[in-house]
Amino acid sequence: MNNFIKSAVLAVTASAATMAAAETRVALVPGGPHPFFANWEGGGVDAVKDFGVASSDYRVPQEWKLDMQNKMLESLVSQGYNAFAVFPGDANGTNAMVSELKDFGAPTVSIAGCTQSPSPVEFCLATDVYKSAYQGTMALIEAMGNEGKIVHETSLLIDPNTQLRVAAVEQAIADAQAEGKKVELYQHLTDVDDQEKADQKINALLAGKAHEFDGLVSTAWVASVVTSKALRSSNNEDLKFIAIDHDQIVLDAIKDGVIQGTMLQNPHGQAYIATYALDKLLNGCTIKADAPFSPTPQHTTFIDSGTMLVTKDNIDNWEAEMKAVTDGIMATFDEKFLDCAS
Amino acid sequence: MPPRPDAVNLNELLARIAKSAGLALIVGVLILIFVYGAQGFTSKFNLFNLTRNLSVAAVVGFGMMVVLALGHMNLALGSTALASVMIMGWVMKVAALPVPVAVGCGLAVGSLLGLLNGWLIVKTKLHSFIITLATASMFLGLVLIMFPGGPISDLPREFTGISKTRYFGWVSGMLLITLVAGVVLAVMYRFTTLGRQMLATGANPDAAELSGIPVSRAILLAHTLSGFLAALAGVMFTARQGSALLSTGEDWLLASFLAPLLGGTLLAGGYVSVVGAFLGAMLVGILQNGLVLIGVPDFWVEFVLGLTLLITVSLDRLRNVLAARRGN
Repeated sequence: MNNFIKSAVLAVTASAATMAAAETRVALVPGGPHPFFANWEGGGVDAVKDFGVASSDYRVPQEWKLDMQNKMLESLVSQGYNAFAVFPGDANGTNAMVSELKDFGAPTVSIAGCTQSPSPVEFCLATDVYKSAYQGTMALIEAMGNEGKIVHETSLLIDPNTQLRVAAVEQAIADAQAEGKKVELYQHLTDVDDQEKADQKINALLAGKAHEFDGLVSTAWVASVVTSKALRSSNNEDLKFIAIDHDQIVLDAIKDGVIQGTMLQNPHGQAYIATYALDKLLNGCTIKADAPFSPTPQHTTFIDSGTMLVTKDNIDNWEAEMKAVTDGIMATFDEKFLDCAS
Repeated sequence: MPPRPDAVNLNELLARIAKSAGLALIVGVLILIFVYGAQGFTSKFNLFNLTRNLSVAAVVGFGMMVVLALGHMNLALGSTALASVMIMGWVMKVAALPVPVAVGCGLAVGSLLGLLNGWLIVKTKLHSFIITLATASMFLGLVLIMFPGGPISDLPREFTGISKTRYFGWVSGMLLITLVAGVVLAVMYRFTTLGRQMLATGANPDAAELSGIPVSRAILLAHTLSGFLAALAGVMFTARQGSALLSTGEDWLLASFLAPLLGGTLLAGGYVSVVGAFLGAMLVGILQNGLVLIGVPDFWVEFVLGLTLLITVSLDRLRNVLAARRGN
């Protein structure tokens, strides 16, 4: 009888110990297929290596549809994933799914894009799109010699990030004008983050009206690639261009002097930091009530994942510089955002 | 001497039970395979989602079944659902009217669009395939014109809560809606004149007309019912997503045929099985869920579903050919 009691106590203790150190299986789920998210995979792999997390896997829904993403999240829970980093398929709509994940005990963070607050996500780790667009426009103005007309290439107007980017570009131009620089906005070219539309709109603009403006700033991945290709094939050295993100075509164009620079985001760092934080949250930590988030109009618990300008001067060193940005966030992450006392 | 009606009914009943029992057996075997082979299949979270998705899929199947009873089809099922939920979302969120009013509006829109399909089929005498192919495109286009701003998000919790109700911790409350719809349909086909008129119209429209059955009315009502069920499935789907999405109903076509055809409903009309359609939806839902859990990529799941439909329709055709030979 005594042996039975001892065994039972041991079994209970062992199971309690297992529960205390829950095995963290993170799923990194974008809204759909897009090259921007490919670097999440490496971020997850590095976090597994560095922090001993059981797994952090990159899983992509077949299409950009909220119901596809929701279905995938449901099946991932059934497959044993217990923490999620998602790019919201819909800023409002994703909240319903996250709330179900939370009820199930799976913490969720939104990365690369934010849900609309109030939201059940623990926090949103994404690029400060306003800052990135503002800095990119300022870099273009400098490359243009502080004068000329600017085209802004961006995504769909209904995307809340696009609204912020439009506002940032306009503010940068207004600030430059206030400093006496002779710059003005020529056009916001919207809905060019889709290959077919970007090809049509950008090539038509460059073929027909390139003589009417002096520079372009892009805040959309596909537009950056299409414009870099078009400028290389047209040999138009008069037009200056600041792209966004790190597609190899864009980076090669910077190296070869075809374009002037690109505003990098930090997808690798987003997945890396999210995996770390989710593991902590699953193992007893909570988000500090007084954490120093940087609220945006869309989201109250926002953390900037970092952005930087890459030009010909630092093109060979950008990965190390971006890693330094990630390390900078990680260095103070626990202290700023986590409460692991209990 | 002609056979006694009740003797025919008994034979028919036995044949129906045999068909449904066969399908139930396959569903049972599949469940056993996934219980032992797919990790996480029996988790409460998975079973809840399985029953929730099943409840929508079965209503989608019912929506197609009621027109298959006539020997018709409704290719506008998905876009009818889309139009219904977008109007419902607008009434709920923009007009800020109470949830029951908004849901009522959505169901009314679905019924009206179904009625329009039926009316066009009756008046033009064109095949339902052509009419509903055209109206599917029209409804979709109209919705895109009316709602250029995309989805209607952040619907009230009073509405989305429907999809969160659960019994025993794992049975979705939405299954109750599906069961009520199924029972009403079964009673209609089994015990009401209207249901029998629909089946008679499907079995042989000319004979039905000659024997005094109001064929046009049966067509109008069956398509109205199909529109209503499409809207009902849309409402349930929207409650689950928390938003009225422009992708509602986009990929329902295959599933809408699969559930009733697997369940024994005849493509040529004249016979339906409500229980069979429900079991067919179960088979598809369990197959999809289990295959994903054992790590089969989504693209293969689509392939398997398409293949299942092809085999089902081929078997149905074979059955008809053999029956015809026996008759000769």
